[in-house]
This record gives sequence, C-alpha cells and structure tokens, in this order.
Amino acid sequence: MIVPLEHILLLAFILFLMGAVCALARRNLVMILLGLEVMLNAAGIAFVGASLRWMEMDGQAFVLFIMGVAAAEIAVGLALLVYCWRRSGSLDVNVFSRLKG
Amino acid sequence: MQANLSLLLALPLFGALVLALLGRRLSRPMVERLACAAIIAAFIAALTALAGAWGETRLVPLFPWFSAGGFSASMDVLYDPLSGIMAVMVTFVSAIIHIHSVGYMRGDESYARYFCYLNLFVFFMLVITLADNLAFLFLGWEGVGFCSYALIGFWFADAERTLAGRKAFVMTRIGDVGFLIAMALFFATLGTLSLSGIIASVSALSVGTATALGLLLLWAAVGKSAQLPLLVWLPDAMAGPTPVSALIHAATMVTAGVYLLMRLFPVLALSQAALAAVGAVGAVTALFASFSALGQRDIKRILAWSTISQVGYMFLGIAAGDLCGGMFHLLAHAFFKSLLFMGAGCVIQALHEEHDIFRMGSRVRTAMPPVFLLFFLGALALAAVPPASGYFSKGRILYATLSHGGGLFTLYWAMGSLAAILTALYTFRLVFVAFFGDPAFPPKTWDIEPLPRFMIHVLWPLGALALLAGGLNLPGNFSGAEWLSHALRTVPGADAEFHGVSELAVSLADAGFCAVGLFLAWMLYGPRTAPGRRGPADPERFAHRMLRSGFGLDALYRKTVLTPFLALSGFMRRVVDEGAVDAAFMSQGVLWARTSMAARRLATGRTSTYLLTFLLGLAAICAVLLAKGA
Repeated sequence: MIVPLEHILLLAFILFLMGAVCALARRNLVMILLGLEVMLNAAGIAFVGASLRWMEMDGQAFVLFIMGVAAAEIAVGLALLVYCWRRSGSLDVNVFSRLKG
Repeated sequence: MQANLSLLLALPLFGALVLALLGRRLSRPMVERLACAAIIAAFIAALTALAGAWGETRLVPLFPWFSAGGFSASMDVLYDPLSGIMAVMVTFVSAIIHIHSVGYMRGDESYARYFCYLNLFVFFMLVITLADNLAFLFLGWEGVGFCSYALIGFWFADAERTLAGRKAFVMTRIGDVGFLIAMALFFATLGTLSLSGIIASVSALSVGTATALGLLLLWAAVGKSAQLPLLVWLPDAMAGPTPVSALIHAATMVTAGVYLLMRLFPVLALSQAALAAVGAVGAVTALFASFSALGQRDIKRILAWSTISQVGYMFLGIAAGDLCGGMFHLLAHAFFKSLLFMGAGCVIQALHEEHDIFRMGSRVRTAMPPVFLLFFLGALALAAVPPASGYFSKGRILYATLSHGGGLFTLYWAMGSLAAILTALYTFRLVFVAFFGDPAFPPKTWDIEPLPRFMIHVLWPLGALALLAGGLNLPGNFSGAEWLSHALRTVPGADAEFHGVSELAVSLADAGFCAVGLFLAWMLYGPRTAPGRRGPADPERFAHRMLRSGFGLDALYRKTVLTPFLALSGFMRRVVDEGAVDAAFMSQGVLWARTSMAARRLATGRTSTYLLTFLLGLAAICAVLLAKGA
C-alpha cells in the first residue's frame, strides 16, 4: 500500500470534522443533510483504508452498507424536507421547534 | 312428579321475569292477573305434588348446576312430607296475599315492580323449601333476603324506609356468615352438601363437629328468623307495604330459619349442647319479644314483636326434639299472623295511614265489622285461646318442652308459659285499644275510607284456618288423630314420642295461662276500664321506655358496633387513606413533576444543540475506547 493508513485516517477525520461543522453551523436543512452525507463518507473512507491495511474484506462490505443506508436516509430526508417546505414555507431549522420543552 | 315440581318452581319465576321485562307495557289488570295466576297455579301444582307423593320421600333431579374438583352442586328437589306441606302453605298464603295486594296497592303506580318482587320472592322461598343441595338452598336464602330488602324499601323516596331495608339486609347477612361456614364444615367433614346425603351419613359426625355445626346453623337461623341477638331488623322492616309484612315478615321468610333447622334436625339431634342453645335462644327471645310487644303503640310493630316471639316458640319446639310441634306452630302461625297483618293493613289504609292504636277506637269496629271479625279470629289464635289453632300448636310445644325433662328445659317451659300469658295480654291490649272505646288521642281525621270488598273477603279462608288449623294435629287427649304427626313420621327426626307428663294437665295449664292474660288485658284495657286509665303509659317512665325500645337493643348495637365502626371508618379515611396512602402517591407525583421541570430545559428546540450533544457523546465514547485500548 502506497498511502500510509495514518494519512487516510487524517483525511477521514478532516472530512468528518468539516461535515460536522457544516451540520452544526448551518441553519438550512439542505446544508445539514449535506453535512451528514459528508460525515458518512468520511467514515466510509476510514473503513476502506482499514480494509486495505489489514487486507480484510469486512471494511469494504461495511462501506457498501453505509452507501445503502445513506441513499435511504437521503431519500427520507429529502421527502421530509419537501414536506417541511410545503407546511411552513421555510427551510430554516430553527422554525421547527415545536418539541421545545 | 318432575314436571309437577318444575312447574311449581318455574311458574313464580316466569311471572317475575315477564313482569320484570314487560311489566311497564302491560296494563294494570294484566299485571295483577298474571301475578295472581302464577301463584294460584303454583298452589295447584304444590297440592297435586303433595297428593301424588303422599308420605314418600323422593329425590327429584331437575338441573345439574356446577361441579369443581370433588365438589358438585345440582338443582335437585328433596321432596318429603315436610317440604311438601311447607310448599303448599307457602303457595296458599302467597296466593291469598297476592289477591289481597291487588286491593291494597290499588292507588300505587309501581304495581308492576311490586308484583314482580312478590312473585320472585315466592320463587326463592320455594327454592328454600324444596332444595336438596345446601348451595341451591343458599341461592333461595339470599334471594328471599334480596326480595325482603327490595320490598321493605319499596317506597324508596322515603329515606327512612330505604334505611330500614338496608338494616334488614345487613343484619341478615351477619347470619349468612354462619350458614357459609356451616356449608364449608359440612363439605370438609362429609364431602357433600346434599341434604339427603348429609342425613344418610350423619352418624359419621363426631359430637364435637355436630355441636359446631348445630351452633353455626343456629347462627344462620337466628339472622333469618330475627331471634336474639339479631332481631332488631324485624320491627323496622314494617316500613314495607303491609301485605309484604304479612308474607315475608310473618308467614314465610322469617320461618325459613326454623325450616332450615328442621331440615337438618338429625345433625342437631346429635348434640345436646346445640339443642340446649337453640332452646335458650327460643325461650329468651319468646319472653323478650312479648315484653317488647307490650310497650308498642304502632299496630304493625306490635305484630312484628309478636312474630319474633312466636318464632321463638318454634325454636323451642325444635330444641325439645319436637319437629312436628315446630312445624305445627309454623303452619298455624303463618295462617293467623298473615291474617292479623292483612287485617291491620285494612285498618291502616281505611284510617288514612294511621298506625297508632291509641287513635283508633270503636269507630273502626262499627265501620268495618268483617275486618274486626277477621282480626279477632287471628287474635284468638295468637293469644292461644282454646280452641283456636294457636292453642293447640303452642300447647304442643310447651308440652314437648316440659316432658323433655331436665332443669334447663323446665326453665324454658316456665319462660315459654310466662311469654304465653304476656302474649294473651298484649294481643288483647291491641284488640281492646284498637277496636273498643273512645281513642285516647284525637285521630288526625275521623273519616274512614271504604275499602274494596274483595280485599277483605279474600281473607276468610285464613280466618277459618286461624280458628280451625288446630284440627291439623289435634292431640290424643282431645280424641284427635294427630294428622300432622302422622304425615311427618317419615321425616328424619320427626318420630319423637313424649311421655312423662300428663298432656291433659299441660293443656289445662295453657288454658289457665291464656285466661290469666285475658283477665289482665280486660282489667287494664277492657272496654269497661275508665278511659283515662286505658291510655298509653307515661312515655318518660323507665319501664315503658325499655319496653318500647325493645330493651334498648338498638341503642346498644348503635353504641357498641355502629359508633366504633363509624369512628374507625373515619380514622381509616382521614389518617390511613388520605394521610398515608394518598400522600405517598401524591408526593411521588410531585417528585416526578419537579424532575421533569428540570429536564425540560434540555429540550431547547434547536437542532444544532441536539447534534452537538450527540457529537460530544460520540467523542466521549471514542475517548473511553481509546483510553481502554491504550
């Protein structure tokens, strides 16, 4: 393996952090969903790197699962998003605070 | 036979069910005819059953009921001369009371409810009379208790009458506890609740068990038959309509306790102690209640106390081992006491609900001669004036008690004889005060309402029986055939013979006691006595207060049972329930409410907060894993 595992993990970490910051800091629902996608893919990169490092196929299998879950999640998430838009005419996440204690 | 007995039980039940379901849609004549026809048909069924199985004892299966484990109960009929004669008496008296009620309730709008309960009562009473299984008998036992409750409180708009019904219900339930324990003991020792089975294997009982069973049965009978110490409900039960008092609280239900003891007499006969206890209850109650009857002014309460006293005689007869005497007095009492009650009902209704005998006087006699004559016949029988029925039946019991021997039974005889003097005295006090002379107090109205004639004339058969029912069992020394003793000879325990005392001498003594009572009544309350002296005694005098209140038994129960019980319930409600149980639950609720108030601050409604918390949690988990891995 040409690229050392540490580099891959560093890349994954940076990507995960960027995704998390995007999800936390943005108020637009679309951007939060994007951030979540980035975080999921960061985990995927870590899995592929580990899979190559130890030559085990489990990590790559996990990435396939993550892709499936991410596709399903984004489908449901976008459907909810459309619904939210229709209901309130806004995609600002702070508008949806009816469960506030 | 089976069809006949099924009809006997089914007819009153059918009448009650139809009246309960359709009673409000049927016209008044339809309701009255249906109720009376059901009972008259039942009377005919009872008569044909008695004629068809004369002198025989038969166990007739009707329905299987239920069985669980080794226990089984079935709705079977034990038909012997005792139950046969009892069934005829119950249906006969009920039929007359039903017809009389048509007149008595002519102004009441709840006639359908009234006749429904009355028919239902007859059904349950016949269940008691005929049942072979004690569990089945208990069904009837509770059923008559319910009907009694419903009919005492029949005019439920009046709170006092409802309370009287409740009191009767609760007091008789105390007796039922004894019945239930006795049933459990029968099942534990003999493995059966069937009367025929119990009597067949009665020799397997030890004397100790028999004594316990005898006392438990006595306890049950005391509740139902209003004997000491559970008698206080019966005088209050007079709140019901008068025909109900005649049927339930004189002729039939209150004698159910006596009947139970007769059905299970072979068990009682095993234990001298139990018999002595039955005799003590009977003798003391007979004397106690006849004293109390002397102090009453309400015509129905006088009759109620006299019922208690006469049922005491029946207990005494059973204690002396004289089943026939007990049954004889039960039959005679059913005839003359229901007659007296319905006569009193006629008087009360004609005088616009006047109960006080000191407001009646000779105007009642002159306005309604047939009612007076009927009442007089009943009074003759109650006072045991020869040759009315009561003379022979009560005489037979006193004779059996005296010839039983032993100091205890001689004492019982003396008490019974004293009660006989008092009976004659209070009966004729009632007759003289209510039907002769001028009333001591001015009546509320001098108007006398005319009554429907059939309502009075339907009582003549009872009048004839009150006078002549002694012929059922004329003793040998009156060259009588002792028909009842002969009929009952196959009933277990009813074959006792009495010797040792001259029956003639006891009969003469009874006549003497009656004469003493009559003489006293004549001197104290007779029509020739000065009007001023005939009035009621000073209500403030101690002796009078005691007699009027039944020796303060009610007040005693109020003080020793009711007041402590109410205090205890108040304590339980305030301190235990509200103070401890409720407070514990309330403080738990307050705790959770406060916790959630604190926790609600965490729910900010901002998605980013949730996500941040989530990520921090994830970071914490990763940190722990790292620390472990290192």
